[in-house]
Amino acid sequence: MKTLMKWVSVIGVLFFVLDAAALDFGELRDKLKAELPVNPKLVEAAKELKGPDETEEIAIGRQIAGNLLGAAPLVKDSKLQKYVNQIGEWVASQSERPDLPWHFGVIQSNDVNAFAAPGGYIFVTLGLYRLLQDEAELAGVLGHEIGHVIRKHHLKLLQQSKLVDLGGKALAKEVGGNDKAQKLIGSGAEIVARGLDKDAEFEADRLGVVLATRAGYDAFGLPGVLQQIGHIAGDESSVALLFKTHPLPDDRLAKLDSAMGDRFDRVKGLTVSSRFYRPKP
Amino acid sequence: MRANRMGMAALLWLLLQSAALAAESGTALKADAIRAEPFGDAKQVATLATGDKVEILQKDGGWLQVKSTKGKGWVRMLSIRKGDAKKGSGEAAGLLALTSGRAGTGKVVATTGIRGLNEEELKAARFDAKELRLAESYAVKKADAHNFAAQGKLVARPFDYLPDVQ
Repeated sequence: MKTLMKWVSVIGVLFFVLDAAALDFGELRDKLKAELPVNPKLVEAAKELKGPDETEEIAIGRQIAGNLLGAAPLVKDSKLQKYVNQIGEWVASQSERPDLPWHFGVIQSNDVNAFAAPGGYIFVTLGLYRLLQDEAELAGVLGHEIGHVIRKHHLKLLQQSKLVDLGGKALAKEVGGNDKAQKLIGSGAEIVARGLDKDAEFEADRLGVVLATRAGYDAFGLPGVLQQIGHIAGDESSVALLFKTHPLPDDRLAKLDSAMGDRFDRVKGLTVSSRFYRPKP
Repeated sequence: MRANRMGMAALLWLLLQSAALAAESGTALKADAIRAEPFGDAKQVATLATGDKVEILQKDGGWLQVKSTKGKGWVRMLSIRKGDAKKGSGEAAGLLALTSGRAGTGKVVATTGIRGLNEEELKAARFDAKELRLAESYAVKKADAHNFAAQGKLVARPFDYLPDVQ
């Protein structure tokens, strides 16, 4: 019984450490190996927690992105697409995964929503883009989605639902659809319609605010967008999926308020409203 | 009869104008200080109680300049809930979107003909290789993004991630 308790606590610590910081897993495993009697089950659990490597992650994300684009294509405005990539890449370069091949896009839908797929594929709907008032708000929204990617929220969801084959071989990047990746993500782009747990959304909000701040923007871009979305009545079809898969804007704002407190009082940032790109109506 | 109709039209026009010109309103989500300037250590000029109505005059970073019966000054943006429309009222939300200059929300959605994204559509979505390649063609190199940021006078700075406050 005592031994069991010990293992339970070791695993508890392991989860905590993993959640709290992007700690190098191999190093932790080696440490555990050195300091504790080797328990093969624990080593196995560690491997499961680590999940797919980066190449696999990108292949999975690429498949999801291709499917999502099958449901809603890009807005045919190359200036708009280039612009969001400039901002997105800049904000992502403030994160701990600056070297991922980040891709950003605005998709043709009047829904108010944004999507992140593993490996750095991020899409904002035209409906959400049109709500934005300045570049700081765009940076905040992209920062939230970048937050999902750097903390691997969707990958973890796939792992929990056992869709990702953890011992699987590397998924090669292919030009067309990737059958192996498709098997891992279920049907079409359903993974993006599935909600993450609330804490993952609150965490992405906190990350988004900080990443935009690091990039030199006004920290209150994302809160501003959330306030605006809070105006849209819950029965509007444009927010049906967003409200189904995310905590309500008021709850997100209250959580951000307590997390932000007075930490941003001396941090002035830019809204860069003068060059904010507005697509044609 | 005709004069009457014109009178009605004029009245309607006036109503729409006043709605468009009206300042945005808000409600205090919690008790908070109204300060003379948009800083945490600026002089406190009054205190808002939960539920107090305010008129929002302007925004500066995380601060809103407000006017209320308690006084005029700056309040933390996250202490104010913008708008006073009740949730679930589509019409009021549409009007708010209009007055705040953010058209494109609300009822507009139903009329433009571009489909929404629901679960069924996402589930049935088929991989679009051409569209994905197009999306990937817009990728920006890190150096270019840095230049673009510099053109906007953006300067990167360190800032710690926020702890999860329960």
